Amino acid sequence: MKYGFAALAIVLGLAGCGTTPDERPVTFEVVTLSVLAPSCGQVQCHSTSTHVTGYGFDTLAASRDALKSTGDRKRIWDQIERGQMPPDAPLADEDKALIKAWLDAGAPGL
Amino acid sequence: MIRAVLGLVIVIVLALAHTADAYPQFQPSRDITCTGCHIAPDGGGILNENGIAVAEQIAWKPGDGNFMYGMGKPSWLSLGGDLRSAGGFIEADKAGAALYPMQAEVAANATTHGFTLHAVGGLRRPDDGGSAIHVLWSREHYLMWQQNPEGGQGLYVRVGRLMPTFGLRLAEHIAYTQRYGGRPLYAEAYAASVSYVAIAAEAHVTVFRHDSLGSAVEHGDGGAIYLEGRITGHLQFGAEAKYSSSDELHRTFIGVTGKYFLEDHDVQVLGEAQLIRDRITEGSGDRATRLAAYVLASKPLSKGLMLDAGVGHYTQDTRVKGLTRDCLDVNLHWFQTSHIEWLFTGRVELLDVGRGNNGGYALAQLHYRL
Repeated sequence: MKYGFAALAIVLGLAGCGTTPDERPVTFEVVTLSVLAPSCGQVQCHSTSTHVTGYGFDTLAASRDALKSTGDRKRIWDQIERGQMPPDAPLADEDKALIKAWLDAGAPGL
Repeated sequence: MIRAVLGLVIVIVLALAHTADAYPQFQPSRDITCTGCHIAPDGGGILNENGIAVAEQIAWKPGDGNFMYGMGKPSWLSLGGDLRSAGGFIEADKAGAALYPMQAEVAANATTHGFTLHAVGGLRRPDDGGSAIHVLWSREHYLMWQQNPEGGQGLYVRVGRLMPTFGLRLAEHIAYTQRYGGRPLYAEAYAASVSYVAIAAEAHVTVFRHDSLGSAVEHGDGGAIYLEGRITGHLQFGAEAKYSSSDELHRTFIGVTGKYFLEDHDVQVLGEAQLIRDRITEGSGDRATRLAAYVLASKPLSKGLMLDAGVGHYTQDTRVKGLTRDCLDVNLHWFQTSHIEWLFTGRVELLDVGRGNNGGYALAQLHYRL
């Protein structure tokens, strides 16, 4: 069993060795499905099941609705940038940078 | 880092070695399956007769553990239900207090000649944009056939709305392997499931289609398989795979589980690791690989008390350095009676091994089992 845990630790250690800089495509689909869906689109929060504060981020269609207006995008970004959202599991700086880059590019793909 | 934290957790738990009490989580120590305590082949939900006896055995002041303290009902009918609420402090970048309901459900099983009609109904957080009726829902409803109605082993077939069997199936949905892995909260779907449960091994195969009418967390269609073998009475290994495909995302999960009972210290260790491959199919597309792992060590303390300590790791995207998070969880369960459980839980979460934003919470949860 100890070998199993050792193997797991090695795998997880290697898992943290990604490349830099961030090579993820700066697209609406990646911002939604890789960042917003797992962090903000949990069922009890901004999902298509509960739409807390009117937003859903667990599907592309719902996220497109949530982000289509400039005002909503600004409101949502302000919450993320100030660290108020997500309340329980903060976003990584790399994820914030990806969202910012997408917004700065004019939010393509909406 | 992970190895050091894991070692520290096990040391902490072992240092608190005390008496031995039964608990369903201690499966390998008892040589039993999930069906030793639950009616469903993959555990959870309504307790069977032995499950109620175990709930009474581990509680501080047990009382009658039967539904509503022994309320009269026909023998073909099994009833259950759960009420949960939690409150405490959550800290992301900003600290804040929180108090929220978690669960209010009743469950019923009507059984005859090996067939069981199972349904769970209750309240959920309503859709902010929906009508008041959206507060009511049925998370599970299925028809089950059981080869051996008098025992917990043999073949099971289920058809209806259910959770595809996958992973360790821990009670706390915030475990990384559940929150970010193949078994998130409320991921039930319309499914057909075949399970075979024996003392030496068990196998669960599910094909599912997402719920396109009601509330859905699972947006894809696909299948899941979970296999678990008991190498010895105290050591179990499992293997798992799940595939889900929607119009916008194809997702594959492959993982392993392990359970080990340290008899001398009366400690149960559970572990799971998942490799997750996402393929975005809309727009210009993208492919990403994620990893989620969680290890939990549990130990009964004095009567009615159990301590858990867990560590989790999540790599959000293996291409990007720094997109990792690790957590340390400590849970203290107090089984006040066979119906009332208090859970005091705390988490410290570190992003990018402490170099990024950190978070955490300290919560008290009250669970009342009907």
